[in-house]
Amino acid sequence: MCSPDQLRSPGTTSECETNAVAHVLGRCSCRRTLLKSALAFTLAPLIGRAPALASTTLALSEIAPGIFVHQGRYELQSPENRGDMSNASVIIGNDAVAVIDTLGSAQIGRELRAAIKAITDKPIRYVINTHMHPDHLFGNVAFKDDNPAFVGHHKLRRGLEARSQSYMASSKDMLGDDAFAGSEIIYPTMSVDDTLTLDLGGRSLVCEAQKTAHTDNDLIITDSKTDTAFFGDLLFSGHIPTLDGSLRGWLALIDQLEGRKVARVVPGHGPHAMQLPGAILPEKQYWSVVAADVRKFIKDGKDLMEATKTAGQSERPNWALFDQYHVRNVTAAFAELEWE
Amino acid sequence: MKTQWHALTKFAAAVVMAASFGAHMCSTARADDDIWLQLQKDVFGTRLIQEDDGTVAIDAPVRAEDAAVVPITIRVSPTVKGPLKAMWLIIDKNPAPVALAITFGPAAGQDGGWRQFATRVRMDSYSNVHAVVETADGALHMKKVFVKASGGCSAPAPKDSDRADDDLGKTLVKNFEPADHNAAFREAQIMIKHPNNNGMQMDPLTRNYVPARFIREVKVMRGADLVFTAMTSFSISTNPNFRFTYDNAKDSTLDVTSVDTDETTFVGRSKQVAAIQ
Ligand SMILES: [Zn+2]
Ligand SMILES: [Zn+2]
Repeated sequence: MCSPDQLRSPGTTSECETNAVAHVLGRCSCRRTLLKSALAFTLAPLIGRAPALASTTLALSEIAPGIFVHQGRYELQSPENRGDMSNASVIIGNDAVAVIDTLGSAQIGRELRAAIKAITDKPIRYVINTHMHPDHLFGNVAFKDDNPAFVGHHKLRRGLEARSQSYMASSKDMLGDDAFAGSEIIYPTMSVDDTLTLDLGGRSLVCEAQKTAHTDNDLIITDSKTDTAFFGDLLFSGHIPTLDGSLRGWLALIDQLEGRKVARVVPGHGPHAMQLPGAILPEKQYWSVVAADVRKFIKDGKDLMEATKTAGQSERPNWALFDQYHVRNVTAAFAELEWE
Repeated sequence: MKTQWHALTKFAAAVVMAASFGAHMCSTARADDDIWLQLQKDVFGTRLIQEDDGTVAIDAPVRAEDAAVVPITIRVSPTVKGPLKAMWLIIDKNPAPVALAITFGPAAGQDGGWRQFATRVRMDSYSNVHAVVETADGALHMKKVFVKASGGCSAPAPKDSDRADDDLGKTLVKNFEPADHNAAFREAQIMIKHPNNNGMQMDPLTRNYVPARFIREVKVMRGADLVFTAMTSFSISTNPNFRFTYDNAKDSTLDVTSVDTDETTFVGRSKQVAAIQ
């Protein structure tokens, strides 16, 4: 069973989540929806504000002057987290504001926007997506009326178009009708071919398109004023990394990234901000272990099914959501590496 | 054998039809039993099928973590004597349910151990997976498992779109030296670089669905002897992958020919690889 605490606290891997996982690909559990509305009724009189569960303010922490980060939970999409399970960042210049990633639903995107509006009234001129995954991008629609440039890797549009149907369907399935309401895919209007510099007044953001790694449309953004780098899902910390691009590409990129001289780095999933190279070492170890184990299976003539049972299991204690993503990672790694 | 091929032709038509319906078909839900009864009628007509008689086993994950790549292994018990005639892998709720329909030849081997055939499939929803084997006496034997997976048929498979069409049709065939040189069977693996487009992925340029283009037939020969011919559908994952046992003879070199729905033919010859550890 899920206690109210389990439903609300960030980063918990509870049985509640396990249930959610069991239902991931089917209809979301009615029991949980009922539980949620039951809570709303029973807690409302005690707390004294009726929509308590729906109107919490989205937390933004200032990690460097003019840079605010919201930390998402280490969870799968669910009606309870409403897509609040990745990191989103806000950079405030003298003239304008840029948002990097918008969380995973229209609803939570609106809360992100409200939280931004509570700290600045400067115009939101850029909405940058680090890559195509729904948990980073379904909140884009909440910024539509600000008329920003939606900035992405030059392959982002193609990636999204090829997946729009399955992204819409699976997000609706996992978030439930309520939390999914109003969500749509907003495509990039400004494309990063190689590098692109965005001026916010007194500071600029350098966006760099990467080769295939986490996905085939990963972007790294660096703030010139504070030397803060936003790695998107090229950096996972605490939350197990997920592979939707190329393992070989990602490992090669990690080799470059760990030597970057920046003041701090913001992961796509993990703490608000971290230091290199330490931040990226656990991820490097995870993928190195997975690659080595999978290569050994392939060399020994073992098949995919055997590999999914044991490859990379030594990494289990190091990561949240291991059971939810690891086998998929091994499957993707095997299908890539067997062609070497 | 004639009835099988007739049923398969019917299925080829169904496959093309399903492709044009795309997403609609993906979301259609029907009662599991009804689906199977209809499928059984389409593929096997009125032939009697024995279920759970110990002849056939299926290894499949209870929950497929990646619905676009679900590993499935069909195994035939050592108690079964004589050559196998045919084998089917059917994913009830997929738009093209018959993933594989295999006819075995003399080089598939006789008996003396577990025979197996493994592949990777797409699964569109929670579904029963049926394996049916026709033994030498013409009897049909069946086993089913339930696999939780969904979204595989519309989930776009290529993770790196620019490279999806590189080396189209490149065929790797690995021939594994058995640990016991006198074993009745040895194993081989076929890998074919092919997107196996199911016609349900949108082309970003035209905004139209990518027309289905997938491997429709795979033929494996050892010298002049047939190992098997398989009719395949887009229920098989991107980069079709088959791993199977066959007769362990002195010269075990395999020649593989596959044909896709654009009538392009691809070939490959096996390379000996190290013994299975
Ligand atoms: Zn991602
Ligand atoms: Zn993410």
